[in-house]
This record gives sequence, C-alpha cells and structure tokens, in this order.
Amino acid sequence: MEFDDFIIGRDDLILITGATGFIGSKLVQGLLKSGFRNLRCFARPSSKLERIEALCDRRPAGAHVEVFRGNLLSREDCLAATKHVALIFHLAAGRGEKSFPDAFLNSVVTTRNLLEASLRHGCLRRFVNVSSFAVYTNRKKLRWRLLDESCPVENDPWLRGDAYCYAKAKQDEIVVEYSKRTGIPYVIVRPGYVFGPGKTNITGRVGISTFGIFLHLGGSNPVPLTYVDNCAEAIALAGLKKNVDSEVFNVVDDALPTSRQFLGLYKQHVKRFKSLYLPHFVSYALCYLWERYSDWSAGQLPPVFNRNHWHAYWKKTRYSNERLRTRLGWKPKVPMAEGLRRYFEACRDAQPYA
Amino acid sequence: MLKVGIVGCGKVADEHASQIQRIKGCEIVGVCDREPLMARQLYERFAVKRYFSDLMEFLGQAKPDVVHITTPPQSHFDIAKRCLELGCHVYVEKPFTLYGEEAERLIALANERRLKITAGHDDQFRPAARRMRALVESGFLGTGPVHMDSYYCYELGQSDYAGALLGDKGHWVHRLPGKLLQNIISHGIARIAEFLVTDSPHIIADGFTSPRLRDMGETEIIDELRVIISEEERTTAYFTFSTQMRPSLHEFRIYGAKNGLILDQDQETLIKLRGDRFKSYVEKFLPPAILAAQYLGNLKTNMRNFIRSDFHMKAGMKYLVESFYRSIVENTSLPIPYREILLTARIMDAIFGQLDAQRLARRPILRVGRAANPVEATSVASRFRASASRSRAL
Repeated sequence: MEFDDFIIGRDDLILITGATGFIGSKLVQGLLKSGFRNLRCFARPSSKLERIEALCDRRPAGAHVEVFRGNLLSREDCLAATKHVALIFHLAAGRGEKSFPDAFLNSVVTTRNLLEASLRHGCLRRFVNVSSFAVYTNRKKLRWRLLDESCPVENDPWLRGDAYCYAKAKQDEIVVEYSKRTGIPYVIVRPGYVFGPGKTNITGRVGISTFGIFLHLGGSNPVPLTYVDNCAEAIALAGLKKNVDSEVFNVVDDALPTSRQFLGLYKQHVKRFKSLYLPHFVSYALCYLWERYSDWSAGQLPPVFNRNHWHAYWKKTRYSNERLRTRLGWKPKVPMAEGLRRYFEACRDAQPYA
Repeated sequence: MLKVGIVGCGKVADEHASQIQRIKGCEIVGVCDREPLMARQLYERFAVKRYFSDLMEFLGQAKPDVVHITTPPQSHFDIAKRCLELGCHVYVEKPFTLYGEEAERLIALANERRLKITAGHDDQFRPAARRMRALVESGFLGTGPVHMDSYYCYELGQSDYAGALLGDKGHWVHRLPGKLLQNIISHGIARIAEFLVTDSPHIIADGFTSPRLRDMGETEIIDELRVIISEEERTTAYFTFSTQMRPSLHEFRIYGAKNGLILDQDQETLIKLRGDRFKSYVEKFLPPAILAAQYLGNLKTNMRNFIRSDFHMKAGMKYLVESFYRSIVENTSLPIPYREILLTARIMDAIFGQLDAQRLARRPILRVGRAANPVEATSVASRFRASASRSRAL
C-alpha cells in the first residue's frame, strides 16, 4: 500500500467498531500490517478480546492498539471513542437480531451516535459504513442480470421480513442523510457473504434448514462469496484511498462457485447430510403462498418468506467487483479455491451444523 | 373510533402495534419514544399517524384515549401517572410497576379520575387459558382451588435478550429491584394471584444464581427461584422459575377437591384430571386412553383456530387489549380485576424483599426458620419497601 494514495498518514488515529468480530479483527490485522500505527478498537463490555489481544501481542514495533470498552448506544462513550479520530471503520452491527426494533437500535441509533460524536470533534476525514448485499432489492431485474453498485436498494425494507436487511438499509440511509446535512465524508462498503475460518454456517443463499431438512434453494446461482481477508482489505482500501468519497463498493471475490457446487464441496469436505433441491419456480411459488397467507392471516405466520426475499436471495444473479478493482485497485489475495479449502477445514474442526 | 397511543418503541411495542391494528374500532394516533429514531421506525413500519419524542407533546397533540406503556419498567409509574392525570386510560406492560405501593397509587388515581388501567398479563388470555378459566368458573374443580403449581421458565441460552442482558451490566434489567426475575415472573405469579382469595398470603421464597451463570461470572442475577404461597391454611401454591430445567415449562396446574386441570402454555393444551378413580385394572388402561383423547381434542382445537387464523403467537394480547377497550367503550368490568394486579405486585414485593435479605445477609439461607415464620417474610418485605422508597426519594 502506498501512503501517498491515502487520505491519512500512518500515525493518524483510526477507530474500528466491531473490531473484535469476524471481519473487524482481520481489518485490524491488515491495517497493522500496512503500517498504520495508531488504532483504537471499540469493543462491547461483553466482547471477547482474544483475537485483538493476539494481534496486540504480534503488533509491529511502534504501533499502538488501544481497546476502548464501551457501548455505542451511549453518546458519552461515542464521544470519548471518536476523540482525535481521523478515520472510522464502522463494522459493529445488530447481527442476528430477529426483532426489527432491536436490530434498528443496534445498527441505526448506534451509527447516528457515532456520526454526531464525530461531528463534535470535527477531525474526521472519512466514515466507512460497512453495509451488506442484503439491502439491494434485485426485484425488477431480469434473470442473470448483473447486480452492481448502481442497483436500487429496498424502498420499504421492512417488507422483506428480515430485521437485518431493514436495519442495514436504514443505517445506510442515515449515513447519507448526515453527510448531506453536515458534510461528513463517507464511503459505503457492501460485502456479499463473508466466509472463512470462524464462521461455520451455510449462507441462506444456498439453502435453509428451518424445516428440519436442508432445502437447497440456490441451484445454479452463483453465491456472492468474499473471503474474510479479501473483504477486510477491500474495506481498508475504501477507507484509505483518496477521491472515493460518497461512493459505494460491493465486495465479492472472483471465480464464484454456484450454490450447487458449494453445497457439493461442503458435503464432500465437511459433513454429509441430506438435502432436498427445490427448483426456483417451486421456491418462488412457496414464498408467494407464504406471503399471501401471512397477509391474509394478519401475521399469524410472520412474513419471513416472501417474494422480495426470494428475489434478493434466490433469483439468478451475476455479481461484479469491477468498481473495487478500478477505483480502489483491489484484487482478492486469497483465491476462491484456497479460501474454500481453509473454510471447510475450519468447519470440519468446529463440528458445524448444516 | 378509539384513539390509541404507544409510549416506548422497542421490541414489545411491535407486538402491541400488530395486535392493536387487528382490532376494529381503534387506530394508533401516535407513538412516542425518548429516542426520536426509535419512534420514527415504529411510525414508518406501522403507518401510524404521527411520532413524538416528548411525552407531554404526544399527549397534548395526539390526544389519545388509551395509552399503551411499553417502556422499561422503571418508567411505568411516572408515565402512567402522567397519562392518567391527562385523562387517558392506560395499558401498562408487565411488570405493572416496580413496587406494590406504586401499583396502589396508580389504581387509586385511575379510580379517582374514573379512568381504567390494566396490566399486560396477556398470557392469561391465551386460548387454552380462557378455556381453563371457563371450566374453573363452571365449578369443574368442585371447590375453590386446594393447590396450584405454576412454572414459568426461561431459556437464557437461546435469546438475544439474554445476550444483551448478560453482556451489558448497564442494561435496564440490572437496575430493577428484582432484576431478571422482575421482568419475567409476573405472568406466572399472576396466574396464581387470580385464584387466591385473601389479600395477604404467606410467601416463602428461595432463589440463587445458577451454576451456569456463575460460571459466566454473573453473581447478581438470580435465575433460579422457588416460592411457596399459602393463605389461611386453605389454598397453597408453588411457583417455579428456572433457566436450567428442561423442558423449559410454562405450565399451570390447579387442583380442587374434585378435579384438576393442567394448562400448558407452550403447547396450548388444557388437560382435565379426573378426581375419581376407576376400579382395579381399569385405572391402568382407561385414563391413558382418556388423556390421549383429550390431547387429540386439543390438537383439533389448535388446528381449527390456526385455519381460522385465530391462533397468533400473541393471541392473548389481542384478547386482553380488545377486552380492555370494550370495558372502556361500554363501561363494563375490566378483564383483570384491580385486586389481582395489586396482589401480583405484593407477592412480587415479598419475593424480592426476601431475596434481597438473603443477599444482604451473605450467609446460607436458614430455610427451616424462614419457612416456619411467615411474619418474618412480611417484615423483610416491608423493610425492603421502606428502603426502596428511601432510595427513590434520594
């Protein structure tokens, strides 16, 4: 990495929220490796610090890694954490929340707190908001059409029935809204499905095991995977590179496997289990029926499966990392085959659930 | 058209908004949360008319007839008091208040203003619970209840709530006098309170932090609780709260002099227990067949309700809210008598008072002595209330 191409110098303070997480710890590792010497890692009081502590132990001479224990819902904590910060990588999110208000609180309110705290200090040069592919609607596109940064995001994200999608879409909205109002420079990064050692579940884009048997729904769709190290590097570049303010970057690796290939490899290398393939027209029809029933019954079954969800997850779609390559000079350092090998190996050791 | 407002726009408010929108003759005219973003998200998703971040502005401008309070329990009393003072009927989520004394004051205020107030004990209005109440009222038990057994368990390991609670010492649940217990057990206690006759039953409570939580470094939260409740050598009840036992029951058993009933909230089943026995070997064969037939009957009822789209997870809440609104519009009796709300609050006061005394004593619990002396329990509870009042005054 060339420091001349970056908006900050090696001694400027960088804040990373979600630093103890799956991607966050890789980002910290990458920043240290690239020569940045002043990092502040925001961690919840309950977060396990093993990953960060291991990085601290191995940090280059002269590098300073501060662990800031706090709660992003506390404005005071945010104010203290953003003091003297030149660049924020905001990775913390309300993942895994099933409730819309909880997901919203832990994604949107926390983001607002960070933005407001940064404004108070007035030294922020860029806010990197880590979002997700989940926010794209993908509904009014033909089969095999490309999903890239120009694609529309969900207008009414709550209709997807997915609290995470809703919270992430609203989080993006508030970042753009604050930037328009206050001039905070930002970049939005939207990774596909981030995989690697440390994660053991199979993405819902391949299939679901909600009903006792694994339903394979992806078929021949490419799965928008990005290996965690590659994703962390893309996020780092999005935060550091000059002249990319207000841009959005999707992150997917090259040589994406199809859903069928991924599932086959998983069964071959990790664990054998039974799965039932549902062709796209069947899964679409089931989603349609579920949606109608949910409407008719006033939510007796929550609308977790619906046509918006189907379009976003199981419609045949191509993905591109063209903008990442051209604007940021990114290319995946870990090839897909190697990434999958490491992932399957870790899954095997972790006794995964499929 | 009854104008409804919601104060507090977190997770529980979603359930309220969903159920209110299923009820005819009412509309949500406004939602309010101290955090404007939270108020806005509820307003957007439920197509509510307006949202507010200031309670007085909300009450003054939206002018709701009924306010649902779904904030953390620490604020229930103050918000409910404000709402009543400004002429609104109030539905307060459980736990009704932090202390019995606050519950008394709210109910007195509601009576004084000729307004209505209720507590969110919606589990008591789920379909099987309503069938149980009808059977008890029809005299199925033979007499009043002789004994009750209420289980209200909680799986800490499988909830986002538990993660947030255990991971964050600043979580509002840590600041409740009864901590985790106070936020959860009122459903199970209210089931017992419904069938008690006297206003001051004897309470014996014993609680501890489970080994699992202790291993996680938690020492403050009590997640195993056993309570004995008895009144005038007449009716007794056991209450069990556990995060460890499996299955994680939400069950209520009630026995009279003639028959008994078992209500299983998770499976939404109600089973009748015959008091009479069959002769000889018939007792070994016929009752299992009768029980099997009853379970099939429950299955049929549940499926019928599901097909009719009347089997929502929060069916109890809809019924309670609807009944509460009806009692306002038609000026009829309330779905939950005030006596039951107060008794639930008093029993909880006594439980937390005893647990607090145990914690303060920091010594092994004198189980036999405490069990033998209910007066001590009362005095501990009084001391606890007095100290709590002093703390609040400070």
